[in-house]
Amino acid sequence: MNLLPQALMQIVSTLFQIVGYWFIFRKCGVRSFWALVPGAREYHIGVCADKEQEGRILAVLGIVLRVFSYFRLDESDNGFLMFLSLALAMSQLIYRIRILGGLCRVFGRPRRWIVPMLFFEGLTAMYWGLSGDFQPVNLQEKEEAGGEIKVSGVNLEVSDEGLAVNIDERAVFDLFKKRYLLRDIHMTIPAGHMVLLLGGSGAGKTTYVNAVTGYEKAKATITLKEKDLYREYGKMKYDIGFVPQQDLMRGNDTVERTLSDAASLRLPADMPAGQKKERVEAALEQFGLGSVRGSLVEKLSGGQRKRLSIAMEFISNPSLFILDEPDSGLDGVVARSIFENLRSIADEGKIVMVITHTPDRVIDLFDDVIVLAKDSNRTGRLAWYGSVEDAYRFFGKNSMEEILLAINQKDEGGEGRAEEYIGKYVDYLIEKAG
Amino acid sequence: MEKKNTRHTGRLDQTVIYLGKLFRMFIFQNDWKLLPMAAVVAGLVSYVVSANVFVTMEGTRIGAFALSCICIWNGFFNSIQVVCRERPIVKREHRSGLHMSAYIAAHMIYQAFLCISQSIITLQVCRMMGVTFPHKALITPWPVADLGITFFLVTYCADMMALMVSCIVHTTTAAMTIMPFLLIVQLVFSGGIFELTGPAKNLTAFTAARWGMTAICTQGDYNSLPMVSIWNSAVQMKGVEFQGEKPLEQILIAIEDNGMRDEILLKTAEYNQKPDYESSPGNVKRCWRYLVLFSILYALFSTLALELIDRDKR
Repeated sequence: MNLLPQALMQIVSTLFQIVGYWFIFRKCGVRSFWALVPGAREYHIGVCADKEQEGRILAVLGIVLRVFSYFRLDESDNGFLMFLSLALAMSQLIYRIRILGGLCRVFGRPRRWIVPMLFFEGLTAMYWGLSGDFQPVNLQEKEEAGGEIKVSGVNLEVSDEGLAVNIDERAVFDLFKKRYLLRDIHMTIPAGHMVLLLGGSGAGKTTYVNAVTGYEKAKATITLKEKDLYREYGKMKYDIGFVPQQDLMRGNDTVERTLSDAASLRLPADMPAGQKKERVEAALEQFGLGSVRGSLVEKLSGGQRKRLSIAMEFISNPSLFILDEPDSGLDGVVARSIFENLRSIADEGKIVMVITHTPDRVIDLFDDVIVLAKDSNRTGRLAWYGSVEDAYRFFGKNSMEEILLAINQKDEGGEGRAEEYIGKYVDYLIEKAG
Repeated sequence: MEKKNTRHTGRLDQTVIYLGKLFRMFIFQNDWKLLPMAAVVAGLVSYVVSANVFVTMEGTRIGAFALSCICIWNGFFNSIQVVCRERPIVKREHRSGLHMSAYIAAHMIYQAFLCISQSIITLQVCRMMGVTFPHKALITPWPVADLGITFFLVTYCADMMALMVSCIVHTTTAAMTIMPFLLIVQLVFSGGIFELTGPAKNLTAFTAARWGMTAICTQGDYNSLPMVSIWNSAVQMKGVEFQGEKPLEQILIAIEDNGMRDEILLKTAEYNQKPDYESSPGNVKRCWRYLVLFSILYALFSTLALELIDRDKR
């Protein structure tokens, strides 16, 4: 009997929601038409609220509950289904509260707005959407930084035994959109160079390294020693050494065993055992681990552990050697000696690429520097690749730390000039490529 | 050009390398402590159930359940943390060319060694605690060997299940949170303690405890053992009076006097025989087949789960 007015109320409320969120999305810089699509609407409310992960969960919960409602499973006599729908509805409520809290924060409004949003969502969304007083706090910043960012479109070729990196893009697909992690990164690194990889938090350093090593493939062409790394990844992965930030080794094994197992895993199967043993001995010697060869890894000092971690990768004599913060947690003297080790590896004709957050104490050991910065879309972009001296001139700074400060976002305590340098570098690259 | 023909360490060699690592872990990381722990658990359980297991129907059923539980407990503890605790290391090694199938194969061999050792220890402790072993051999010429193989297969099946969980979860905390649930499922759905009906009964087919219990009861010739629970209840009720007399007591005395007690116990057992526990080699083989099948499936799932390790969030 009361079904008709109830259905009408439901329709009106949904219409209000659609209209309200249409305008809210527009204010947030999200495509408005997503307000029309149930599920996508919830996800994009999460995006607006800077709570994308929660938005994704809310979207899935919403879809599941709609299916329950359509098949009237929530009204079923089955106790399990009733319990399940109740649990889902409660989860949905909690996620809605979280997201609405985020929305209040983004719009600079007190959290008490969550209550009307929960109980009169359509009306409140209309009010927020249509009223000029409700604007995202960071809208001004976004507008300033927005707009299309320059892309070089160049494609560099490797001319020697070095590494040519041509990354057009590295993107991931979130629920409803494509997100760029890296774009337009082009460089050629000659063999024998030791390269510093510099960038603030979230600039895409690890993504870049993974793309270059072929571990996470990008839309790119990576050429190492004139071979396409992506095409021949199965064979070439042994020619790349990657030392992770953490010392990922088994603490209960001895140093010598750890190295000899690494040698067995990484070196060619047909290499005679004697030669493998020689390589283990050479690595122990080169990294100063001879005196602790019989010790358990867990008994080593931080510096020794780091050396062992490097030696594990070095043992296969890779052409490209990448290290993620090899000096983290180490004092200046130990860190310097590790970097000197790396310099000697580069001098053997290898490419050594190092991520570090304290580059200035060892900057004299590097040939080149790669500066990655995130643009206003939070995409990792190349702000510089070239010699250290040229980098100082390009950025007008005297140290790597100052460069980092210049490209870091304002909310990270930086100068927020990343886009300026990205654009400047694109011009420089186009000019250089002719 | 030279790299094209380069062949790197294959699965078999990698299995040997990792087997070496695991056995070193046995010594250096105190994995050997799992063996005395198995002895303690077996000792505690056999202290409680030793009197009636393989002697009476009820004792055999409870005992078989308890023995299966020892095996499952041992199996779970052997491997529930082995992979997840070194997951970042495995991820790094995968990047350097480690084949997950070789890694799991090494674990399978090492865990088999642990499970065999624990089964032998459990058998020995049970013997020392006075557990009567079955006299009838169904598969091998030695009844104790049959029982030992069953112990091993149940332990190994639980071990592989825990290994699978360890490969799926990312942290030891998550593994140790899931383990009690798995244990409860094994105990509740084994059909050993609770009589299950309807769809729940079908679930028993997926538990190692059910196949372990069935194999042990079959090997203990459950259906030919006497049933004592009805006799014991009657003895407890012998004082009940009816029209000034104690008829139950009179009957019990008459049975005892005529030496018919054992006959009566066997007669009551006849009405409570279970076709599932029929003492035949085929029945034992069926249970073993299921345990082996589940172990293989769990190992396969473990490998598949680890193949996705590169998708772990940084």
